[in-house]
Amino acid sequence: MAREEPTALERFINGVLPENPIYRQLLGMCPVLAVTSAMKPAMTMAGATAFVLICANIVISLMRSLLKPHLRILVFTLTIATFVTIADKFLAAYVYEMSKQLGPYVPLIIVNCLIISRCEICASKQSVGVAAADAVGMSLGFALALASIATVREILGSGMWFGLRVLPGSWPGWGIMVLPPGAFLSLGLLLGAAEWVSRKRARTNLWRTVRMLWSWRR
Amino acid sequence: MGETQQKGGYIGQAWLVIVLGLLYGGVLAGVQTTLSGRAADNKKDETYSVIPSLVRGADETKTIELMVEGKNGKEARIYRAIGADASHKGWVVSAGGQGFADRIELLIGLDPALTTLTGLYVLEQKETPALGDRITEAGFRDRFSGKPADQSIVMVKSEPKAENEVRALTGATISSESVSAIVNDALANLREPIGRRAHSAAPGEASRETTG
Amino acid sequence: METLTSLILIFIGAALINNFVLHYFVGICPFLGVSRRVDTAFGMGCAVTFVISISALLNWTVTYFVLRPGAPLPAWVWQLAGGNPETQIDLSVLSYIIYIFVIASSVQFVEMYVRKFFPPLYRSFGVYLPLITTNCAILFGSLEIMKRLQDPTKLWGLHEALTLAVGGGIGFTIAISLMAGIREELDMADVPAPLKGAGIALIVAGIMAMGFMGFTGVEKGVASAIGALVP
Repeated sequence: MAREEPTALERFINGVLPENPIYRQLLGMCPVLAVTSAMKPAMTMAGATAFVLICANIVISLMRSLLKPHLRILVFTLTIATFVTIADKFLAAYVYEMSKQLGPYVPLIIVNCLIISRCEICASKQSVGVAAADAVGMSLGFALALASIATVREILGSGMWFGLRVLPGSWPGWGIMVLPPGAFLSLGLLLGAAEWVSRKRARTNLWRTVRMLWSWRR
Repeated sequence: MGETQQKGGYIGQAWLVIVLGLLYGGVLAGVQTTLSGRAADNKKDETYSVIPSLVRGADETKTIELMVEGKNGKEARIYRAIGADASHKGWVVSAGGQGFADRIELLIGLDPALTTLTGLYVLEQKETPALGDRITEAGFRDRFSGKPADQSIVMVKSEPKAENEVRALTGATISSESVSAIVNDALANLREPIGRRAHSAAPGEASRETTG
Repeated sequence: METLTSLILIFIGAALINNFVLHYFVGICPFLGVSRRVDTAFGMGCAVTFVISISALLNWTVTYFVLRPGAPLPAWVWQLAGGNPETQIDLSVLSYIIYIFVIASSVQFVEMYVRKFFPPLYRSFGVYLPLITTNCAILFGSLEIMKRLQDPTKLWGLHEALTLAVGGGIGFTIAISLMAGIREELDMADVPAPLKGAGIALIVAGIMAMGFMGFTGVEKGVASAIGALVP
């Protein structure tokens, strides 16, 4: 191996923030936009995705020595689809309300690029411990990102958070935030904000932005 | 690499996929047998649990699901609402149609003689939040209770004057009109077939005629 | 007549009102990734429309005859094997696995077929074919059709399933082409640095989604227009 593979701890930490699946890698955008109109469905989705990601990573890592290069994608898909079916049936049996609300987005976890890319990058090359740590880290990062968007949308859209009222009842509720356009706008602006914060020379960029805005005004 | 591929042949190549396929198939069969009953019950409970609020005095455990063929030739699902004393309390009709944004699925409660609406429940809708989705609120649904079932319901924007008029939601006229259109269509389509059912089988002794 | 009206409504619903990208958020990856130039975006849209229709055709067939609750084929096999004919066989637990394989293999075959027999067509959109196996829009189309085959009282026929798929594909093409047109212009605009790339693309998509919300309710008018045109 030419390059040293990251250790379990590095994989875990990377997943949460430095390589956050949504803000850094732009993976799995479809559930991020679709289920974040409130915290409850967003967290159910994060849980289901975490279950599939962790199980798939562990199983793939266990049989990584048996994988044939040209059949590996097939094996990944088969494994992921099985765990997604289990998650879907489980939700339908025990959390029916959420299962109804999430609808097709649970089966769409199968084509979530995040999971297949983790199988490919980490689980098919490294040991079970590392793969599990990677999956947990990535799931945590995914859940954090979903939570950030859902928080913005639910609070602005309905004045609630997790179904509990946080803004006074007189808050009008920006209907647009819980509708599809609100998803695109909040994710776009949050991506911009994350990018802005993470820039090393944030100050210079701030000044550049201010100058730019100033030049537009004139 | 090429040598091992030839030595293994197709089976050597694919044995992992085949074994996994069988293994996963077994796991899924297990999941299906343990969980699918529960999931189906959840779905049924959702309908059955609202039946007492649609037909007064109905007992959800006694209520029977029936399939009838409507005038349009399509099968429709109805429920014969039966009270705890085994008497026939009314009917619940499941109906759906186009709303403002997407399909709306309703449960409509009727008295045994099919003359009066006794309740309305919205099972599924994707109307605009805070405007059209207020059709799910009791304040709107209750406006249908006591309205005649043998005349067309008409949506009006002011206080209703005639017996068959119902006041529409402010800012959600199309959603309101969709609901009344679904109710009218379902009743026009199913009144006669249900009436025939009412005569053919005495309440209480009807067998379970469900298929799905 | 009624059938035609309902087909037109399904089509408008899938293409405009509940646009796959701007309402259901499926196919976001190519929508953001392959929307830099109009011609490539249009090619991608055509490839998606093509594959979504083929996979809808295959998946409708499989679901209708094998996978749905109360499907004829498993019941027939069960009876041949001497099972109790009253038993309800429900194979829907296998649907997701089967769908994804049908999609993956139909993409493979379509790619080989087009490359062999229609080289010009292949040059224009064949290169996108391998990319769209993991496009959510394709699986989503099949899932929407599957949803309509669960309740035996309102089964969808093949014509309805195909209309939904073609409508969804055309809706995707419209959305991605419009997006590419806007992004070509955006290249010349002075976008704040942190928003460059995906950020501004998402904001543009948000504004487009607002525009598409204006189509909500259009089908009522269309239905009455058809009713007025054809007595």
